[in-house]
Amino acid sequence: TVAGLERPQLVAHVQQPLSYTVFDCKWVPRSARLLCLGSAARGSGVLQLYELRGGRLALLQEVEKAKPLKCGTFGAAALQQRFLATGDFGGSLSVWNLEAPEIPVYSVKGHKEIINSIDGVGGLGIGEGAPEIVTGSRDGTVKVWDPRQKDTPVANMEPAQGESKRDCWTVAFGNAYNQEERVVCAGYDNGDIKLFDLKTMSLRWETNIKNGVCSLEFDRKDVNMNKLVATSLEGKFHVFDMRTQHPTKGFASVSEKAHKSTIWQVRHLPQNRDIFMTSGGAGNLHLWKYEYPAQRSKKDSEGAEMGVAGSVSLLQNVTLSTQPISSLDWSPDKKGLCVCGAFDQTVRVLIVTKLNKV
Amino acid sequence: MPVWVREYSWRQSAAAVFLSLPLRGVRVTAANIFCTERYLKVSVPPFLFEANLYASIDETASTAKIGDGVVFFTLYKKEAAMWDSLTVAHVNKEELQYLRENAVLKAHEKAKEETEAKKVIKQEHRKYALEATMKLEEAERKRIEDLKEQERQKVTKDLELWRSQQEDVEKQKRVQKEGEQHKGVEQLKEKKKEKISKTRIPNEETSKTRLKPTKGSCSIFSENLKEEPLPAPRSAGTITINFTPRVFPTALRESRVAEEEEWLQKQAEARRTISADLSELEDLKEEERNPDWLKDKGNKMFATGDYLAAVNAYNLAVRLNNKLPVLYLNRAACHLKLRNLHKAIEDSSKALELLTPPVPDNENARVKAYVRRGTAFCQLELYAEGLQDYEAALKINPKNETIKEDAEKIRHIIQGTMQNS
Repeated sequence: TVAGLERPQLVAHVQQPLSYTVFDCKWVPRSARLLCLGSAARGSGVLQLYELRGGRLALLQEVEKAKPLKCGTFGAAALQQRFLATGDFGGSLSVWNLEAPEIPVYSVKGHKEIINSIDGVGGLGIGEGAPEIVTGSRDGTVKVWDPRQKDTPVANMEPAQGESKRDCWTVAFGNAYNQEERVVCAGYDNGDIKLFDLKTMSLRWETNIKNGVCSLEFDRKDVNMNKLVATSLEGKFHVFDMRTQHPTKGFASVSEKAHKSTIWQVRHLPQNRDIFMTSGGAGNLHLWKYEYPAQRSKKDSEGAEMGVAGSVSLLQNVTLSTQPISSLDWSPDKKGLCVCGAFDQTVRVLIVTKLNKV
Repeated sequence: MPVWVREYSWRQSAAAVFLSLPLRGVRVTAANIFCTERYLKVSVPPFLFEANLYASIDETASTAKIGDGVVFFTLYKKEAAMWDSLTVAHVNKEELQYLRENAVLKAHEKAKEETEAKKVIKQEHRKYALEATMKLEEAERKRIEDLKEQERQKVTKDLELWRSQQEDVEKQKRVQKEGEQHKGVEQLKEKKKEKISKTRIPNEETSKTRLKPTKGSCSIFSENLKEEPLPAPRSAGTITINFTPRVFPTALRESRVAEEEEWLQKQAEARRTISADLSELEDLKEEERNPDWLKDKGNKMFATGDYLAAVNAYNLAVRLNNKLPVLYLNRAACHLKLRNLHKAIEDSSKALELLTPPVPDNENARVKAYVRRGTAFCQLELYAEGLQDYEAALKINPKNETIKEDAEKIRHIIQGTMQNS
């Protein structure tokens, strides 16, 4: 229908089969290059650098590492250098200079088990304050690292003594709007979401969404925290309005059921923080738009401020694969360009059109 | 008896016969008229008119006009010839009957043929309609595909342009780098340390104007980077956390919620059961009617070694409430001590029966039941069954060393007996 064609279209641009399982894919900032991280069949780690040329991806570089690589981020890298921080299956955090990737620039065996998720802040000219990297691991801990400090993390969020641990599946930085403020949000496999304030070194908020939290992202890391999206197993995701924290009820949220299977990733469009894409276990991508309510906060019966969640509407969806799409990244330089990696050993570059009209 | 209509008038032309049939006082409808090639009947109770026609007519073309008190027939002859009379003359009863039946049969056949023909036509119409809709849908789909393809090509071109700009930027950067290297190593180090904190990336702008990124990124690289000192690394801190407790310590995805609910319900039910006949227990004291109290009493006596008394206590408790698995479990332990091995097996089995559905909550109880039954079997020298139970216990709790060792011992014994026999 004509009305349907006015909505953003998800156009599949390039499809690249890989000879290994890809766990994460990221655009290299300021370029048309993308990075794929994963695990080769023989149990070693693979890092590949591709460049988008014409209608295909040209392999520029391939590096093999001892342990399979699970996740990576450029978030803490300086723009000039664009160092990549990775977490691997052995629990080691390493920072690499892609022009000399044999020896890491920084490395630490920070965790006892696989690092499931990594995020960086303070680099790329985004946000204020020192560049920091946060890692979340299956050993139940979340650690924040400063690449200038060797061996010990600058913050450690760990289970209390005697507490049985839960796997941490995802971490995200947020609220980094000045040099002092910063929060880390962590999601666990039992549905816990915990918000840590790094300035006061305390737990600021926690909640439980019943299903394991697969992915967390603030709509912007470098502003006063505005929205947080949490995706989980069994096809649900929640959008929290982070502007107003009620003393007992916490943050208001709206939740949506989609994908009919695990929602693996959520990524906000860098150029418009109210648009985000979720990727699902059935190999599909959904593009969403968040609409704010008329009033973002209201007073409850006791006069305390509480937030009001808005609504989420589906703009478009597409099914690309039969296997889960486990990683997703928007290009920070070209609006609508995104890359996704799926468990069918394929990485796909997509272009989302008409985002200006949304 | 129907009234035969005899007064009718008719006239004919070379091609048609005109028959006028008076039927006063009755309403005639099309259903009352039956006409075949050579037979015409009008039956309107109480009137009946019948005519075995002289010659064949074309009944499909013929018409009947029903008027006020009279029916006017226009029958078109098959052969243009003058009829001597309207009806066939001098037919006897048998012939009449035969002619009637024939007529009916013929009518039947005709009707059949008509329906067949109708069906065929209907089928063809449907087919045609289907094909037409298919074509329409195809056209629509193609149109959408074309639009999408156009979109795709446009976007691809756009991307190419952007990408070539990125390349230019990269080249510029490289040139710049080389330029800097000429300036000296120290200056380079300086530059690398500086943080690009204030320069904003043109992310929020729309990407319609393709020239903007070039300008923006140029400015980032050629601009003299501000001397923002980075804050020192954060002073280390630790935050200890607790995880949300659940009745069953497994995440929603792992829990077998339905089974766990069932188990909880069963437990609640069991608590409420009072199975014994109250009349027998009238002479019991209040506390002796409480299965829990009795269970505790039994446990105490087991602890002191008075196994018979413990069994008695458990017996009474079971009479009061036969749905508590723990009673059977403990009684099995007593029987084991008393070497009532068959009773021990019975009780352990009953306990296991009550401990369904198997959930993490009743793991310990089940392990105990299996171990006790296993022990009883072994003492009866039924080592194979005993081993089975021990292995079941291990399956639930693989970390228990005692169970492992005992299982090993049993295996050895079995192997020993097999070798000997």
